[in-house]
Amino acid sequence: MLTVENLMVFFENALALNDFSMEVREGQLVGVIGSNSAGKTTLMNALSGLIIDMRIKEQRRGGQRITLYGKVLFEDRDITTMPPSRRVKLGIVLCRERHPVFPESDVLENLKMAGYLQKSGKVRETIRYVFDLFPALVRLKSRKAGFLSGGEQQMLAIGMALVAQPRLLLLDEPLLGLSPMMQELVMGAVQDLRGTSRITVLLSEQFARPVLPLIDYGYVIENGILTLMGSGRELMDNPEVKAAYFGV
Amino acid sequence: MFLGTIVYGFINSAILALLSMGFNLTFGISGVANFAYGAVYIFSGFLAWILMHSWGVPYFISVLAAIFCSGCVGILMYYVVIIRVKGLSLSEVMATFGIGMAVMELFRYFDFVGFRYTLPVFVDGSLSFGEVYIDYQRVLIALIAVCLTGFIYVFTHHTRVGLAFRAIAQDERTALTFGIDSDRIGAFSMAFGSALAAVAAIVILPLGTIAVEGGYEVLINALAVCIVGGLGSTVGILVASVLIGYAQTFTANYLEPHWMILVSLIAIAVVLTVKPSGLFGRQKELEERI
Repeated sequence: MLTVENLMVFFENALALNDFSMEVREGQLVGVIGSNSAGKTTLMNALSGLIIDMRIKEQRRGGQRITLYGKVLFEDRDITTMPPSRRVKLGIVLCRERHPVFPESDVLENLKMAGYLQKSGKVRETIRYVFDLFPALVRLKSRKAGFLSGGEQQMLAIGMALVAQPRLLLLDEPLLGLSPMMQELVMGAVQDLRGTSRITVLLSEQFARPVLPLIDYGYVIENGILTLMGSGRELMDNPEVKAAYFGV
Repeated sequence: MFLGTIVYGFINSAILALLSMGFNLTFGISGVANFAYGAVYIFSGFLAWILMHSWGVPYFISVLAAIFCSGCVGILMYYVVIIRVKGLSLSEVMATFGIGMAVMELFRYFDFVGFRYTLPVFVDGSLSFGEVYIDYQRVLIALIAVCLTGFIYVFTHHTRVGLAFRAIAQDERTALTFGIDSDRIGAFSMAFGSALAAVAAIVILPLGTIAVEGGYEVLINALAVCIVGGLGSTVGILVASVLIGYAQTFTANYLEPHWMILVSLIAIAVVLTVKPSGLFGRQKELEERI
């Protein structure tokens, strides 16, 4: 479904992603594991097209120079330089890190805003599905999103991404800043939504422990370089991963 | 006299609200402080006048054309100029202010000065309100201000584009992840703001003549309302319009009429020193923007 070939991303002369290749097959749950500043968010931005928008805006004002080499293919189509709005139409939807919600709008409105490109019937239907997936959101319907807790915001953020009708859902650090209980709930929801809607999910995380047991395939990234890959089981048994992420 | 001041103060508040609505909308959504706002205001006035008097176009068509053209001017300004300096506040202000000045001074150069440049009122006549007489045009201004406020509220809360407006205003990058194109929405917000300026011009200009100086005055008043109310806050705009509107009317009636404009300037100065983000301001970077 998604193929990344030798992707390199420079911010001026700093190399954020170095010769990175990966593949996501339809229906899989794929994880990208790495510590802070390993290049996970850069990868997500490159896949969702945000980096293209950043590049255009930086170029206009003569700011930082962002350079991309390599290729991103979505269903055999080269989307390396495609702007984000067109990728959303193709079904690539990113849920950014640090629970991105619109703080001054209420929960329901947030979900509606996410359905900008979708038909209103479909939006209503998905909003109902989101409330099924995260029952905790129902009673918060008319609360301003900025007043929600981190976990509630993360549920809302995932719900918003779902309203945009993803076929490939990109989750950038969905567990960041959440309590272990909330982490479990979010991962459970990711499992659920894959069961009901067959969405392909690519998620990046620094907390390997709750993620590795669930993923079909994983990539470990360090300083922008791919260091390890394998199935979730293989990665869990790998001594280096154990040392770095499980602390044993 | 007192009752009259109350009524006319309300009308004046409505005028200020109409004037600042478009300015506030564009800023609230795309963060662009459109200093060409006053120029768009008199541009639409002159355009309607030219269409009616030089080309003989009927009133209603000229007015609609003027509003439509102002919207197009907004889009054009966004894609030709603003897009290149977007995010650089100072450059945005200089570019839009430059355009505004050029347009207004061009009108002056081509001799658009004098008492013959007036727009007709919708309906002639007046109604009495106790012992206060008030003409229909001023009643209409108040009505339109109320209707437009309602319309903008419904538009930004219940339509797809309106919701996208508010999404972009809150978090541009997150809005991008849902396919909301920030440039398209930015251009649209400029168009919307400029069209609102044109609507204000069409209903307010019949009270006087269309003059280049009017453009500067509109800009000062719009700025005063937005600074006092807090840029980007609709409630703030309404409250500030009422505050400044009544302050101006009371000054004009009980002190000296030509001190009216001082009220706006003093309001700007006081608010910027005491509470720079305005009474209801969400935009904390106001200090850098103005």
